[in-house]
Amino acid sequence: MPKLGPVEIAIPFFILAIIAEMLWARRKRPDAYEPRDTLTSLALGTGSTAVGALTAGFVVAALYWLYDHRITTIGWAWWAWIACFVLDDFNYYWAHRTGHRVRWFWASHVNHHSSQHYNLSTALRQTWTGFFALSFIFRIWPAFVGFNPAMLLTVGAINLVYQFWIHTEAIRRMPRWFEAVMNTPSHHRVHHAVNPLYLDRNYAGVFIVWDKMFGSFVTEDGDTRIHYGIVKQLGSFNLVWSVFHEWIGIARDMVSAPWRHKLSYLLREPGWSHDDSREGSDKIRARWEALNRPAD
Amino acid sequence: MVIQLGVSIALILGVTWLARQLALGRDVRLRSEDEARALARAAVCGFEPAALVLDRAGIGALLRDAQGRTMLLRRHGAQFAARLLDNHADTRLDRNFLTVGTGERFYAPITLDLGDQAQVWAASLRRLSN
Repeated sequence: MPKLGPVEIAIPFFILAIIAEMLWARRKRPDAYEPRDTLTSLALGTGSTAVGALTAGFVVAALYWLYDHRITTIGWAWWAWIACFVLDDFNYYWAHRTGHRVRWFWASHVNHHSSQHYNLSTALRQTWTGFFALSFIFRIWPAFVGFNPAMLLTVGAINLVYQFWIHTEAIRRMPRWFEAVMNTPSHHRVHHAVNPLYLDRNYAGVFIVWDKMFGSFVTEDGDTRIHYGIVKQLGSFNLVWSVFHEWIGIARDMVSAPWRHKLSYLLREPGWSHDDSREGSDKIRARWEALNRPAD
Repeated sequence: MVIQLGVSIALILGVTWLARQLALGRDVRLRSEDEARALARAAVCGFEPAALVLDRAGIGALLRDAQGRTMLLRRHGAQFAARLLDNHADTRLDRNFLTVGTGERFYAPITLDLGDQAQVWAASLRRLSN
Protein backbone atom coordinates (compact mmCIF):
# COMPACT_ATOMS: atom_id res chain seq x y z
CA MET A 1 0.00 0.00 0.00
CA PRO A 2 1.47 3.41 -0.95
CA LYS A 3 2.40 5.75 1.92
CA LEU A 4 -0.01 8.64 2.29
CA GLY A 5 1.30 12.21 2.43
CA PRO A 6 -0.16 15.08 4.48
CA VAL A 7 -2.47 16.16 1.64
CA GLU A 8 -3.90 12.66 1.06
CA ILE A 9 -4.49 12.24 4.79
CA ALA A 10 -6.24 15.63 4.91
CA ILE A 11 -8.65 15.07 1.99
CA PRO A 12 -11.44 13.36 4.03
CA PHE A 13 -11.25 16.22 6.54
CA PHE A 14 -11.44 18.73 3.69
CA ILE A 15 -14.67 17.13 2.47
CA LEU A 16 -16.17 17.00 5.97
CA ALA A 17 -15.21 20.64 6.58
CA ILE A 18 -16.84 21.71 3.29
CA ILE A 19 -20.03 19.89 4.27
CA ALA A 20 -19.96 21.54 7.73
CA GLU A 21 -19.47 24.96 6.12
CA MET A 22 -22.37 24.27 3.75
CA LEU A 23 -24.60 23.53 6.74
CA TRP A 24 -23.45 26.82 8.30
CA ALA A 25 -24.16 28.60 5.00
CA ARG A 26 -27.67 27.17 4.86
CA ARG A 27 -28.51 28.81 8.18
CA LYS A 28 -26.47 32.03 7.95
CA ARG A 29 -25.35 32.79 4.39
CA PRO A 30 -27.10 30.81 1.62
CA ASP A 31 -25.27 32.86 -1.01
CA ALA A 32 -21.85 31.82 0.33
CA TYR A 33 -22.05 28.75 -1.91
CA GLU A 34 -23.28 28.29 -5.46
CA PRO A 35 -23.50 24.68 -6.66
CA ARG A 36 -22.02 25.36 -10.14
CA ASP A 37 -19.21 27.39 -8.63
CA THR A 38 -18.50 24.59 -6.15
CA LEU A 39 -18.51 22.05 -8.98
CA THR A 40 -16.00 24.14 -10.93
CA SER A 41 -13.76 24.63 -7.90
CA LEU A 42 -13.70 20.94 -6.97
CA ALA A 43 -13.15 19.90 -10.60
CA LEU A 44 -10.21 22.30 -10.76
CA GLY A 45 -8.86 20.70 -7.60
CA THR A 46 -9.20 17.17 -8.95
CA GLY A 47 -7.65 18.12 -12.29
CA SER A 48 -4.80 19.83 -10.50
CA THR A 49 -4.14 16.69 -8.44
CA ALA A 50 -4.17 14.53 -11.58
CA VAL A 51 -1.78 16.84 -13.44
CA GLY A 52 0.36 17.04 -10.31
CA ALA A 53 0.61 13.26 -10.17
CA LEU A 54 1.74 13.14 -13.80
CA THR A 55 4.38 15.85 -13.37
CA ALA A 56 5.55 15.10 -9.82
CA GLY A 57 8.34 12.89 -11.14
CA PHE A 58 10.00 15.82 -12.89
CA VAL A 59 9.83 18.01 -9.78
CA VAL A 60 11.22 15.21 -7.59
CA ALA A 61 13.99 14.58 -10.14
CA ALA A 62 14.89 18.29 -10.10
CA LEU A 63 14.91 18.26 -6.29
CA TYR A 64 17.24 15.25 -6.15
CA TRP A 65 19.50 16.70 -8.84
CA LEU A 66 19.92 19.82 -6.70
CA TYR A 67 20.40 17.68 -3.59
CA ASP A 68 23.07 15.61 -5.33
CA HIS A 69 24.98 18.85 -5.95
CA ARG A 70 24.31 20.30 -2.48
CA ILE A 71 26.85 22.48 -0.74
CA THR A 72 26.23 20.92 2.67
CA THR A 73 24.04 18.31 4.35
CA ILE A 74 21.54 19.57 6.89
CA GLY A 75 20.07 16.24 7.99
CA TRP A 76 16.95 15.36 9.95
CA ALA A 77 17.41 17.19 13.26
CA TRP A 78 14.25 18.70 14.81
CA TRP A 79 15.51 22.22 14.18
CA ALA A 80 16.04 21.35 10.50
CA TRP A 81 12.30 20.65 10.17
CA ILE A 82 11.46 24.05 11.66
CA ALA A 83 14.05 25.84 9.52
CA CYS A 84 12.84 24.02 6.42
CA PHE A 85 9.20 24.90 7.13
CA VAL A 86 9.96 28.59 7.69
CA LEU A 87 12.23 28.77 4.63
CA ASP A 88 9.64 27.03 2.46
CA ASP A 89 6.97 29.47 3.65
CA PHE A 90 9.29 32.37 2.81
CA ASN A 91 9.75 30.87 -0.67
CA TYR A 92 5.99 30.40 -0.94
CA TYR A 93 5.50 34.11 -0.21
CA TRP A 94 7.78 35.14 -3.08
CA ALA A 95 6.39 32.51 -5.46
CA HIS A 96 2.89 33.72 -4.64
CA ARG A 97 3.79 37.39 -4.92
CA THR A 98 5.41 36.74 -8.29
CA GLY A 99 2.31 34.75 -9.22
CA HIS A 100 0.34 37.97 -8.90
CA ARG A 101 2.87 40.39 -10.36
CA VAL A 102 4.17 38.56 -13.45
CA ARG A 103 1.49 37.66 -15.98
CA TRP A 104 3.21 34.39 -16.99
CA PHE A 105 2.84 33.08 -13.46
CA TRP A 106 -0.54 34.79 -12.96
CA ALA A 107 -1.92 32.86 -15.95
CA SER A 108 -1.39 29.73 -13.90
CA HIS A 109 -2.43 31.09 -10.51
CA VAL A 110 -5.54 33.01 -11.66
CA ASN A 111 -7.57 29.78 -11.46
CA HIS A 112 -7.42 29.98 -7.69
CA HIS A 113 -8.91 33.49 -7.72
CA SER A 114 -11.54 33.31 -10.42
CA SER A 115 -14.44 32.35 -8.14
CA GLN A 116 -16.65 35.20 -6.95
CA HIS A 117 -17.30 33.14 -3.84
CA TYR A 118 -15.01 32.61 -0.89
CA ASN A 119 -15.53 29.32 0.86
CA LEU A 120 -13.64 26.14 1.66
CA SER A 121 -14.24 24.77 -1.84
CA THR A 122 -12.34 27.80 -3.18
CA ALA A 123 -9.25 26.48 -1.38
CA LEU A 124 -9.29 23.40 -3.60
CA ARG A 125 -9.56 25.53 -6.75
CA GLN A 126 -6.00 24.89 -7.85
CA THR A 127 -4.09 25.35 -11.07
CA TRP A 128 -3.60 22.76 -13.80
CA THR A 129 -0.72 24.65 -15.39
CA GLY A 130 1.63 25.29 -12.47
CA PHE A 131 4.20 22.80 -13.75
CA PHE A 132 4.11 24.32 -17.23
CA ALA A 133 4.59 27.80 -15.71
CA LEU A 134 7.60 26.43 -13.76
CA SER A 135 6.21 27.87 -10.51
CA PHE A 136 7.99 25.12 -8.57
CA ILE A 137 11.42 26.66 -9.18
CA PHE A 138 10.84 29.08 -6.30
CA ARG A 139 10.61 26.26 -3.79
CA ILE A 140 13.16 23.64 -4.78
CA TRP A 141 16.42 25.56 -4.31
CA PRO A 142 16.76 24.69 -0.57
CA ALA A 143 17.70 21.19 -1.73
CA PHE A 144 20.90 22.72 -3.10
CA VAL A 145 21.57 24.23 0.33
CA GLY A 146 21.25 20.77 1.86
CA PHE A 147 17.62 20.25 2.91
CA ASN A 148 16.49 16.73 2.08
CA PRO A 149 13.97 16.59 -0.80
CA ALA A 150 11.60 14.43 1.26
CA MET A 151 11.63 17.05 4.01
CA LEU A 152 10.94 19.82 1.47
CA LEU A 153 8.03 17.91 -0.05
CA THR A 154 6.58 17.21 3.39
CA VAL A 155 6.72 20.81 4.65
CA GLY A 156 5.34 22.02 1.30
CA ALA A 157 2.39 19.69 1.67
CA ILE A 158 1.79 20.83 5.28
CA ASN A 159 1.88 24.43 4.04
CA LEU A 160 -0.80 23.60 1.46
CA VAL A 161 -2.96 21.80 4.04
CA TYR A 162 -2.71 24.77 6.44
CA GLN A 163 -4.04 27.12 3.80
CA PHE A 164 -7.27 25.16 3.39
CA TRP A 165 -9.08 26.39 6.50
CA ILE A 166 -8.39 30.08 5.91
CA HIS A 167 -10.71 30.12 2.87
CA THR A 168 -13.87 30.85 4.80
CA GLU A 169 -16.21 33.65 5.79
CA ALA A 170 -17.51 31.62 8.70
CA ILE A 171 -14.61 32.69 10.95
CA ARG A 172 -14.41 36.41 11.55
CA ARG A 173 -11.24 36.92 13.59
CA MET A 174 -8.82 34.70 15.47
CA PRO A 175 -7.22 35.79 18.79
CA ARG A 176 -5.05 38.88 18.41
CA TRP A 177 -1.73 37.07 18.97
CA PHE A 178 -2.67 34.55 16.28
CA GLU A 179 -3.70 37.26 13.78
CA ALA A 180 -0.36 38.99 14.41
CA VAL A 181 1.77 36.03 13.33
CA MET A 182 -0.29 33.59 11.30
CA ASN A 183 -2.23 33.80 8.08
CA THR A 184 -5.93 33.70 8.96
CA PRO A 185 -9.34 33.79 7.26
CA SER A 186 -9.44 37.56 7.80
CA HIS A 187 -6.03 38.17 6.21
CA HIS A 188 -6.74 35.84 3.32
CA ARG A 189 -10.17 37.31 2.57
CA VAL A 190 -8.25 40.51 1.82
CA HIS A 191 -6.03 38.56 -0.56
CA HIS A 192 -9.01 37.20 -2.53
CA ALA A 193 -10.78 40.57 -2.66
CA VAL A 194 -11.01 42.81 -5.71
CA ASN A 195 -11.73 45.92 -3.65
CA PRO A 196 -9.10 48.41 -4.88
CA LEU A 197 -7.33 48.77 -1.53
CA TYR A 198 -7.06 45.01 -1.12
CA LEU A 199 -5.72 44.13 -4.59
CA ASP A 200 -2.37 42.31 -4.56
CA ARG A 201 -2.04 42.25 -0.79
CA ASN A 202 -1.51 39.56 1.87
CA TYR A 203 0.41 36.96 -0.16
CA ALA A 204 1.36 34.88 2.88
CA GLY A 205 0.98 31.13 3.06
CA VAL A 206 1.29 30.27 6.76
CA PHE A 207 3.06 33.22 8.42
CA ILE A 208 1.58 36.68 7.77
CA VAL A 209 4.83 38.22 9.01
CA TRP A 210 6.29 38.10 5.47
CA ASP A 211 3.66 40.58 4.27
CA LYS A 212 4.42 42.83 7.22
CA MET A 213 8.15 42.62 6.51
CA PHE A 214 7.88 43.26 2.76
CA GLY A 215 5.17 45.94 2.75
CA SER A 216 2.26 43.99 1.30
CA PHE A 217 0.09 43.68 4.41
CA VAL A 218 -3.38 45.18 4.75
CA THR A 219 -5.81 44.61 7.63
CA GLU A 220 -9.38 43.65 6.79
CA ASP A 221 -11.81 46.49 7.42
CA GLY A 222 -14.79 44.71 8.95
CA ASP A 223 -17.20 47.43 7.76
CA THR A 224 -16.34 47.16 4.06
CA ARG A 225 -18.19 44.61 1.94
CA ILE A 226 -15.65 42.41 0.20
CA HIS A 227 -16.11 41.51 -3.46
CA TYR A 228 -14.20 38.37 -4.44
CA GLY A 229 -12.81 37.15 -7.72
CA ILE A 230 -10.72 38.84 -10.38
CA VAL A 231 -10.78 42.38 -11.76
CA LYS A 232 -12.52 41.19 -14.93
CA GLN A 233 -14.87 38.54 -13.57
CA LEU A 234 -15.14 35.42 -15.69
CA GLY A 235 -18.94 35.40 -15.86
CA SER A 236 -18.76 31.71 -16.77
CA PHE A 237 -18.58 28.34 -15.02
CA ASN A 238 -16.92 26.70 -18.03
CA LEU A 239 -14.14 24.54 -16.61
CA VAL A 240 -11.80 24.67 -19.61
CA TRP A 241 -12.19 28.43 -19.95
CA SER A 242 -11.48 28.77 -16.22
CA VAL A 243 -8.22 26.88 -16.64
CA PHE A 244 -6.89 28.49 -19.80
CA HIS A 245 -8.49 31.95 -20.20
CA GLU A 246 -5.43 33.92 -19.13
CA TRP A 247 -3.07 31.83 -21.25
CA ILE A 248 -5.37 32.48 -24.22
CA GLY A 249 -5.41 36.18 -23.34
CA ILE A 250 -1.60 36.27 -23.29
CA ALA A 251 -1.43 34.52 -26.66
CA ARG A 252 -3.92 36.95 -28.22
CA ASP A 253 -2.09 39.96 -26.80
CA MET A 254 1.30 38.71 -27.96
CA VAL A 255 -0.01 38.09 -31.47
CA SER A 256 -1.61 41.53 -31.79
CA ALA A 257 1.01 43.64 -29.94
CA PRO A 258 3.83 45.49 -31.71
CA TRP A 259 7.09 43.51 -31.66
CA ARG A 260 8.81 45.58 -29.00
CA HIS A 261 5.93 45.06 -26.57
CA LYS A 262 5.27 41.36 -27.08
CA LEU A 263 7.40 40.09 -24.20
CA SER A 264 5.93 42.68 -21.85
CA TYR A 265 2.55 40.97 -22.18
CA LEU A 266 4.24 37.86 -20.81
CA LEU A 267 6.48 39.29 -18.14
CA ARG A 268 4.87 42.48 -16.84
CA GLU A 269 2.07 42.68 -14.31
CA PRO A 270 -1.46 41.53 -15.18
CA GLY A 271 -3.49 44.45 -16.55
CA TRP A 272 -0.49 46.10 -18.21
CA SER A 273 -0.98 47.21 -21.80
CA HIS A 274 1.34 49.07 -24.17
CA ASP A 275 -1.36 51.61 -25.10
CA ASP A 276 -2.55 52.23 -21.53
CA SER A 277 -5.99 50.91 -22.40
CA ARG A 278 -6.12 48.64 -19.35
CA GLU A 279 -5.49 48.96 -15.67
CA GLY A 280 -3.51 46.77 -13.29
CA SER A 281 -3.83 46.74 -9.52
CA ASP A 282 -1.45 49.66 -8.92
CA LYS A 283 -3.41 51.97 -11.20
CA ILE A 284 -6.76 50.87 -9.81
CA ARG A 285 -5.58 51.46 -6.26
CA ALA A 286 -4.15 54.89 -7.19
CA ARG A 287 -7.43 55.88 -8.80
CA TRP A 288 -9.41 54.72 -5.78
CA GLU A 289 -7.14 56.67 -3.44
CA ALA A 290 -7.47 59.78 -5.61
CA LEU A 291 -11.26 59.48 -5.62
CA ASN A 292 -11.47 58.85 -1.89
CA ARG A 293 -8.82 61.28 -0.68
CA PRO A 294 -10.24 63.48 2.08
CA ALA A 295 -10.75 67.07 0.93
CA ASP A 296 -8.17 69.52 2.36
CA MET B 1 -4.70 6.54 -9.92
CA VAL B 2 -7.78 5.73 -12.01
CA ILE B 3 -9.59 4.58 -8.85
CA GLN B 4 -8.53 7.77 -7.02
CA LEU B 5 -9.84 9.86 -9.92
CA GLY B 6 -13.14 7.96 -9.93
CA VAL B 7 -13.58 8.42 -6.18
CA SER B 8 -12.74 12.14 -6.51
CA ILE B 9 -15.32 12.64 -9.25
CA ALA B 10 -17.95 10.80 -7.18
CA LEU B 11 -17.15 13.02 -4.18
CA ILE B 12 -17.34 16.19 -6.30
CA LEU B 13 -20.73 15.22 -7.66
CA GLY B 14 -21.90 14.27 -4.17
CA VAL B 15 -20.86 17.62 -2.66
CA THR B 16 -22.45 19.53 -5.56
CA TRP B 17 -25.66 17.52 -5.14
CA LEU B 18 -25.64 18.37 -1.43
CA ALA B 19 -25.18 22.08 -2.22
CA ARG B 20 -28.29 21.89 -4.42
CA GLN B 21 -30.27 19.96 -1.80
CA LEU B 22 -29.41 22.60 0.79
CA ALA B 23 -30.70 25.27 -1.64
CA LEU B 24 -27.41 27.16 -1.53
CA GLY B 25 -26.76 29.88 -4.08
CA ARG B 26 -30.14 31.52 -3.82
CA ASP B 27 -32.00 33.06 -6.73
CA VAL B 28 -30.21 36.40 -6.57
CA ARG B 29 -31.89 39.51 -8.04
CA LEU B 30 -31.13 43.20 -8.10
CA ARG B 31 -33.56 44.60 -5.55
CA SER B 32 -33.01 48.30 -6.14
CA GLU B 33 -31.22 50.87 -8.23
CA ASP B 34 -28.95 51.57 -5.28
CA GLU B 35 -27.83 47.95 -5.25
CA ALA B 36 -27.06 48.10 -8.98
CA ARG B 37 -25.10 51.33 -8.48
CA ALA B 38 -23.06 49.80 -5.67
CA LEU B 39 -22.24 46.72 -7.74
CA ALA B 40 -21.25 48.88 -10.73
CA ARG B 41 -18.95 51.00 -8.57
CA ALA B 42 -17.38 47.85 -7.18
CA ALA B 43 -16.92 46.34 -10.65
CA VAL B 44 -15.06 49.26 -12.22
CA CYS B 45 -13.21 51.70 -9.99
CA GLY B 46 -14.21 55.23 -10.95
CA PHE B 47 -17.47 54.24 -12.64
CA GLU B 48 -20.11 56.53 -11.15
CA PRO B 49 -23.52 55.67 -12.61
CA ALA B 50 -25.39 58.70 -13.94
CA ALA B 51 -28.24 56.78 -15.55
CA LEU B 52 -29.43 53.22 -15.22
CA VAL B 53 -32.22 50.84 -16.03
CA LEU B 54 -33.02 47.62 -14.21
CA ASP B 55 -34.40 44.48 -15.74
CA ARG B 56 -37.95 44.03 -14.40
CA ALA B 57 -37.04 40.70 -12.83
CA GLY B 58 -33.75 42.05 -11.48
CA ILE B 59 -31.48 39.68 -13.40
CA GLY B 60 -29.40 42.49 -14.85
CA ALA B 61 -29.04 46.18 -15.50
CA LEU B 62 -27.57 48.70 -17.90
CA LEU B 63 -25.76 51.70 -16.48
CA ARG B 64 -24.10 54.75 -17.99
CA ASP B 65 -21.64 57.15 -16.39
CA ALA B 66 -20.93 60.82 -17.06
CA GLN B 67 -18.11 59.87 -19.44
CA GLY B 68 -20.62 58.03 -21.64
CA ARG B 69 -19.36 54.56 -20.72
CA THR B 70 -22.07 51.89 -20.67
CA MET B 71 -21.91 48.91 -18.35
CA LEU B 72 -23.83 45.66 -18.50
CA LEU B 73 -24.40 44.07 -15.12
CA ARG B 74 -25.46 40.47 -15.57
CA ARG B 75 -26.37 37.78 -13.07
CA HIS B 76 -23.80 35.03 -12.82
CA GLY B 77 -24.81 32.27 -10.43
CA ALA B 78 -25.39 33.91 -7.07
CA GLN B 79 -23.29 36.94 -8.02
CA PHE B 80 -23.21 39.61 -10.71
CA ALA B 81 -20.50 40.05 -13.36
CA ALA B 82 -20.04 43.34 -15.20
CA ARG B 83 -18.65 44.42 -18.56
CA LEU B 84 -18.11 47.83 -20.10
CA LEU B 85 -19.70 47.70 -23.54
CA ASP B 86 -17.67 48.91 -26.49
CA ASN B 87 -19.85 47.82 -29.43
CA HIS B 88 -23.45 46.98 -30.19
CA ALA B 89 -22.88 44.02 -32.51
CA ASP B 90 -24.76 41.63 -30.23
CA THR B 91 -27.59 44.01 -29.33
CA ARG B 92 -31.12 43.07 -30.40
CA LEU B 93 -34.36 44.91 -29.60
CA ASP B 94 -37.70 43.14 -29.48
CA ARG B 95 -40.34 45.52 -28.12
CA ASN B 96 -39.67 45.72 -24.36
CA PHE B 97 -36.86 43.20 -24.48
CA LEU B 98 -33.27 44.17 -25.18
CA THR B 99 -30.70 41.44 -25.74
CA VAL B 100 -27.21 42.63 -24.87
CA GLY B 101 -23.97 40.77 -25.49
CA THR B 102 -20.29 41.58 -25.49
CA GLY B 103 -19.01 39.33 -28.25
CA GLU B 104 -17.17 37.28 -25.63
CA ARG B 105 -17.82 33.59 -26.13
CA PHE B 106 -18.01 32.76 -22.44
CA TYR B 107 -19.83 35.85 -21.18
CA ALA B 108 -23.23 34.92 -22.52
CA PRO B 109 -25.65 37.56 -23.89
CA ILE B 110 -28.63 38.37 -21.71
CA THR B 111 -32.15 39.45 -22.60
CA LEU B 112 -33.37 42.21 -20.31
CA ASP B 113 -36.99 43.21 -19.87
CA LEU B 114 -36.62 46.99 -19.73
CA GLY B 115 -40.22 47.99 -20.40
CA ASP B 116 -40.56 51.27 -22.28
CA GLN B 117 -36.88 52.02 -21.58
CA ALA B 118 -35.75 49.25 -23.93
CA GLN B 119 -35.95 51.45 -27.03
CA VAL B 120 -34.18 54.35 -25.32
CA TRP B 121 -31.25 52.17 -24.25
CA ALA B 122 -31.15 50.38 -27.59
CA ALA B 123 -30.75 53.74 -29.26
CA SER B 124 -27.96 54.74 -26.90
CA LEU B 125 -26.14 51.43 -27.46
CA ARG B 126 -26.33 51.98 -31.23
CA ARG B 127 -24.06 54.95 -30.73
CA LEU B 128 -21.28 52.55 -29.73
CA SER B 129 -19.05 51.45 -32.59
CA ASN B 130 -19.89 48.20 -34.33
